[in-house]
Amino acid sequence: MYNDKNSQKIVDIIQNYARKHSLWVLAYGTGCGAIEIAPTMTSRYDAERLGIRGAATPRQADVLLITGYLTVKTVKRVVRVYEQMQDPKYVIGFGSCTINGGMYYDSYNTINLLDRYLPVDVYINGCMPRPEAVIQGFVKLQELISQGKANGAAKYKENLEWYKANQKKIAPKWFERAPEYNW
Amino acid sequence: MKEIKQQMIDRILKAFPDAKNTDYDGNRLDIAIKKESVPALLMHAKEEMGFRHLSHIAYIDWIEQGEFEIVYILWSPSDKLKLFIRTRIDRENPVMDNIDMIWRQANTYQREMREMLGIEFPGMVAPDEFILEDWDDIPPFRKDFNTLEYVNRTFWHRPGREDAQDVRETITKRSGEEIPDFAKKYSR
Repeated sequence: MYNDKNSQKIVDIIQNYARKHSLWVLAYGTGCGAIEIAPTMTSRYDAERLGIRGAATPRQADVLLITGYLTVKTVKRVVRVYEQMQDPKYVIGFGSCTINGGMYYDSYNTINLLDRYLPVDVYINGCMPRPEAVIQGFVKLQELISQGKANGAAKYKENLEWYKANQKKIAPKWFERAPEYNW
Repeated sequence: MKEIKQQMIDRILKAFPDAKNTDYDGNRLDIAIKKESVPALLMHAKEEMGFRHLSHIAYIDWIEQGEFEIVYILWSPSDKLKLFIRTRIDRENPVMDNIDMIWRQANTYQREMREMLGIEFPGMVAPDEFILEDWDDIPPFRKDFNTLEYVNRTFWHRPGREDAQDVRETITKRSGEEIPDFAKKYSR
């Protein structure tokens, strides 16, 4: 993304300007955090004025919002969904459960660190984060995009083996059968 | 209601002499019985006494006694009475009778028990995996399953919890209230 003078190319600036103003969020809630998405999207906080709106399928979406804790069973589906999304794609970790496990840190069935399994661009702290915090997180993501720093997807491609090894550690049989991520 | 309740208890005790009744207030009947008589008692309660609805099957791990306890909770819509049927099975060799031909929904509860406690139900037809997938440890709801040790082995911890302050102590310092004795064991 950066040239030798450590600044963005003009084409990238234009591209990022367009990308940051149309963040389509996959309508997929994993934990209790999905309850905060409804007020964020509807008229009270109205996230659509920032270009943030829902998308029905992974292939149409740009942002994967991990709302809350992830059980081992959900991680499998989330990884599958993430790999189906097309570039540009970003991940937002929502709530303290994605950061360090939150109140489920000693549960046998929920993962603690989301960034061992998926590349996370922005974390939103809180249990629960209010809609203001959610919007703040999206604004931060827009900032990172316009600076060309939201490159989680590139990180995932580069360190694919490390991510895959971590995923296989929690669910070996499932991820052995899973299709290859090679596009 | 008291008369109906007493009648019900008498009928059960007459039909099943080994059953033991525990007295509870309100609309709750509580019967403990040995595990061989459970399907017969359930069938009797459903067909003869009007307990048509199976509300829940609860399970308890009594690790000190080396037993699992299974509690069948029935509901009688006509008499508005709850019937708790308790039975204990051996912890080392946990086998229980399959009752999903009496209530079809018992199949789901039995699958959960099979997965979370490792109780076998001979003759039950159900897929192997229910909630846990790729599980290769002892069943997680057994008391001797060490959750934190499993988490340390399987997942990662982010540093920062070590010096976490107890919220309760901060609040007591600020407000001058004492922590009650029963709550002290939960303090860090």
